[in-house]
Amino acid sequence: MHPEELLRKQAETAPDPGAAEALAPHDLSRLGRRSRRVDGHRKSTGSEIYTDDIVLPGMLHGKILRSPHPHARIVAIDTSDAEAIPGVQSVITGRDMPLAYGIIPWTRDEHALAFDKVRFVGDAVAAVAAVDEDTANEALTRIRVEYEILPPLFEPEEALEASGNPIHEAKKEGRNGNITKHVHLEFGDVDEAMAGSDVTVEGEYYFHGTTHTPIEPHCAVARRNVNGLLEVWSSTQVPHYLQRELARVLDLDVAEVRVVQPAVGGAFGGKSEPFDLEFAVALLAMRTGRPVKILYTREELFYSHRGRHPMDMSYRVGATADGRIRAVDGKLLLDGGAYASFGLVTAYYSGQLLMAPYDVETYRFDATRVYTNKPPCGPKRGHGSVQPRFGFEVSLDKLAEKLGIDPIELRRRNFMGLGRTVNEFRVQSNGFMECLDKVEHASDWKNRYGRLPRGHGLGVAGSCYISGTNYPIYPNDMPQASAQVQIERSGRVTVLHGASEIGQGSDSTMAYIACEELGVPVEYVRVVSADTDLTPVDLGAYSSRETLMVGNAVMMACRELGTKVRASVATATGVGAEQVRLANGWALAGGERMPIARAFMLAEAEHGTLGAVGHYNTPKEGVHGDYRGGTIGASPAYSFTAHVAEVEVDEHTGFVNVRKIWVAHDCGRALNPMLVEGQMEGSAYMGFAEAVMEHQRVKRGTPEGGLHDAPSLLDYRIPTSLDCPEFIPLIVEANDPEGPYGAKEAGEGPLHPSLPAIANAIFDAVGVRIDRLPFTPDRVWRALQAARADAAPESESG
Amino acid sequence: MKPGPFEYVRPASVEEAIAALEDGGYDAKPLAGGQSLIPAMNFRLAQPAVLVDLEDLDELRGIRAREDGGLIIGAMTLHRELERSTLVAERAPLVAEVMPWIAHPQIRNRGTVGGSLAHADPAAELPSVMQVLDAVLHVRGPDGGRTIPVDEFYLGLFTTALEPGELLTAIEIPPLPAGATCAFEEVSRRHGDFALAGVAVVVETGADGAVARARMSLLSVGDGPVLAERTMASLVGRALSAESIRDAAAITAEDLDPPSDIHASAAFRRHLAGVLTHRALDRLRA
Repeated sequence: MHPEELLRKQAETAPDPGAAEALAPHDLSRLGRRSRRVDGHRKSTGSEIYTDDIVLPGMLHGKILRSPHPHARIVAIDTSDAEAIPGVQSVITGRDMPLAYGIIPWTRDEHALAFDKVRFVGDAVAAVAAVDEDTANEALTRIRVEYEILPPLFEPEEALEASGNPIHEAKKEGRNGNITKHVHLEFGDVDEAMAGSDVTVEGEYYFHGTTHTPIEPHCAVARRNVNGLLEVWSSTQVPHYLQRELARVLDLDVAEVRVVQPAVGGAFGGKSEPFDLEFAVALLAMRTGRPVKILYTREELFYSHRGRHPMDMSYRVGATADGRIRAVDGKLLLDGGAYASFGLVTAYYSGQLLMAPYDVETYRFDATRVYTNKPPCGPKRGHGSVQPRFGFEVSLDKLAEKLGIDPIELRRRNFMGLGRTVNEFRVQSNGFMECLDKVEHASDWKNRYGRLPRGHGLGVAGSCYISGTNYPIYPNDMPQASAQVQIERSGRVTVLHGASEIGQGSDSTMAYIACEELGVPVEYVRVVSADTDLTPVDLGAYSSRETLMVGNAVMMACRELGTKVRASVATATGVGAEQVRLANGWALAGGERMPIARAFMLAEAEHGTLGAVGHYNTPKEGVHGDYRGGTIGASPAYSFTAHVAEVEVDEHTGFVNVRKIWVAHDCGRALNPMLVEGQMEGSAYMGFAEAVMEHQRVKRGTPEGGLHDAPSLLDYRIPTSLDCPEFIPLIVEANDPEGPYGAKEAGEGPLHPSLPAIANAIFDAVGVRIDRLPFTPDRVWRALQAARADAAPESESG
Repeated sequence: MKPGPFEYVRPASVEEAIAALEDGGYDAKPLAGGQSLIPAMNFRLAQPAVLVDLEDLDELRGIRAREDGGLIIGAMTLHRELERSTLVAERAPLVAEVMPWIAHPQIRNRGTVGGSLAHADPAAELPSVMQVLDAVLHVRGPDGGRTIPVDEFYLGLFTTALEPGELLTAIEIPPLPAGATCAFEEVSRRHGDFALAGVAVVVETGADGAVARARMSLLSVGDGPVLAERTMASLVGRALSAESIRDAAAITAEDLDPPSDIHASAAFRRHLAGVLTHRALDRLRA
């Protein structure tokens, strides 16, 4: 189309410029509105391309042989029979990739395929590439592995005390190799403050372990092209880290590796580190010279796991008679499973992320993470802090009960406001009070809490979460997020950024930021993301960092371009550049207007080809304490949440019916309220599911020890839409100076209070505290039975 | 999640189906709605060598009224057809009542009544319902036809009295006696899940107000439908009362020996069976 023709067409179809003018009193023209996802239509019509949709010419199918033993030494592996099967192209074992890897550079304790030992049922031992899946599966049955069985450790307490045959060798002599991380931090004199408290409450809490269950299983495809470039398509949420680890383990130059992340069908933290299949497809592709694909079965997903750690937690909270928290003392034992994964971070997060939104005088936590012979635990949405938040917020409920103070009022009295937490995290925005106000009002708390008929109850809980973490996983001073934006004379804007779209909507958020800054309709924005050959570096979709960090980078690049475009429009129309606005497909200059593509042409003529880069790096000064570990968990900005849950408990069957959850969340500026509400509902749903139903566990004893209890979606039960409470999202906007337009996170924070709010609501309903998750009918019934052990036999008619 | 290799046969008549089943012996399986068999094959829990698809056998479909007020239901009749049938609602209200408890609408749109009964899953609702309704199963095999009362049909876990080559063709439900009332109660973890426990009950009350006959069968608490014989006996001869219901619930729980699994302990299942017995009978009393 000729440019003039194009401009005429745009002028005809663009919205009325008056609509943009009408928005002028506000500082935003496009953001802040409910906007459709840019990938929504593709996903809802099934036309989106996921990794398993990729089929390359000559592609082979790979399968991975997994250990049937929870703990054993590999004595010998004989692959000759498997290799002899017609159609089998390559068989590889741990000896082919001897270098250990791990997402945290200080705790590299995994091998792509087990090297000398297997440490859980499901540990990868060998991999096969064959002409089809059936042949590959057949080959797995012909690989002979000789194991020397070792005694397994399933209970974290056993692992703590075990002597001899540790799951991993200790790094230092005399230490217990089963301890992967121990963190002990104390802020102020806790013992003194506790002794000086008017009242203390204590409890033992247990979180049981859950996994992510994304709809899309992990999948990876690799090929090595004739120029030596290794290309890997993977359903990952960390393309950059994957690129680095692939290069390291396969002894390639990082520049020789390209990682592409196609559309991902859910991740929730379960795809945030390299997995065996990614190394296996890469090496098999290099060995065979043909593309190779591996798609996990659903069963493999349950074994690869990296889900939420089971935790034994004890909390002691001291307070004044009017309910002000003086001291918090927490001791935590984390069941890490077979490998370190993100465990070093998990151990820190389990204590570090607990302090806000409350003003706590003194705090101590002691967290120990141990290895056990079970699928490895790792980060799951709300990493490290969901379990402690459960224990702590139930503790606060007990404190309120003991003091006769309304639980919402108790939380208000301890509100920290702005400033620093006791562990020295800097909080520059804090909408927690408004969150409490909103859930209190919406749930009619004042009239209903403590006054509902027996069996019905309300419970409240609060929380805080990070919007990205200040420090990258490998130490460096380079930007943590970056973007490149190009303007094309047709009016098209291309945003290239590294953020991983995993369903949370990062591609949409970046597109609408470009719309906001450059005045184009969203149909004119192309987003290219998460391709290490095409897009600048981003660290990945974890710790709720994309909106804040990549959003800032995109905003920065767009602003540079916007300044050029406005200057050119100003020159052409004879008004000052500050009077030029770019909005909704138009450049508005004083009384004049022109289609945005015309403005882009003017700018391109004046400045040459239009492109700019942007980046974001977190502030390093004044945002955390200087103590060892003080940086871990520190964030540029913090989100805040409060929930009220309403439950109905069937005292005869123990069924807990969660009827409603009011979710108030301070996400800073809500750039797209529809996506924010989706994250709030999805988070609260996941917390609800973990509270009442989900349970990741393995069998004990022989011969089944270490086998997953329920490695299918038939038996690992997650609530369907029919089983959900009504979620009522209530957005609170306390803008943060670090966030783009003031935005903070929304994808993880709103999960946390679900669990303690439900626990506290159960107490309101039936007067029984259940401090161990999950609240299954069996457990609730037993707790009720214990509570009325002396009462008359059950009667239905009563 | 793909089945192993199998041979697929699609007969045009019941005779052909029976011949194909007889040929295949224990390695042949009839395919009705496929709502249990196909997932089991995909998990490789079932690996039949021959699949005999009954899809074309229209003679096995449909709901017919019996002159005496009962029903004859073709084995290939869909759950959804029973759910929507006014005839079923009138003559076998317990069958209509139980339908929403069976899985999800998508599954009821494909699943068949005969498939469910012959599959003999201990968590299935229909075996218990048919048992308390005194249903009789019509079976045809290489040597001709026979009828089997539900009480004699279930032999154990996923095991029935059907011989290789035999096909369940129809279910005959006698009319509900005058003065009979019925109820169904179940608890499952999620909507559409297999029951943790369930109970179907029919109570016939005499002119004197006392229970003349009672039928009660439980699901998900044993190898198949569990007839609560002692509970049934305890109800007869007394009017339903708070006391008789309490006794019945206690006897039911006492007599059961349910399995423990990852979803519920034996003790909890026993408890639930008592609670459900209580609830079902309470409804009949009201």
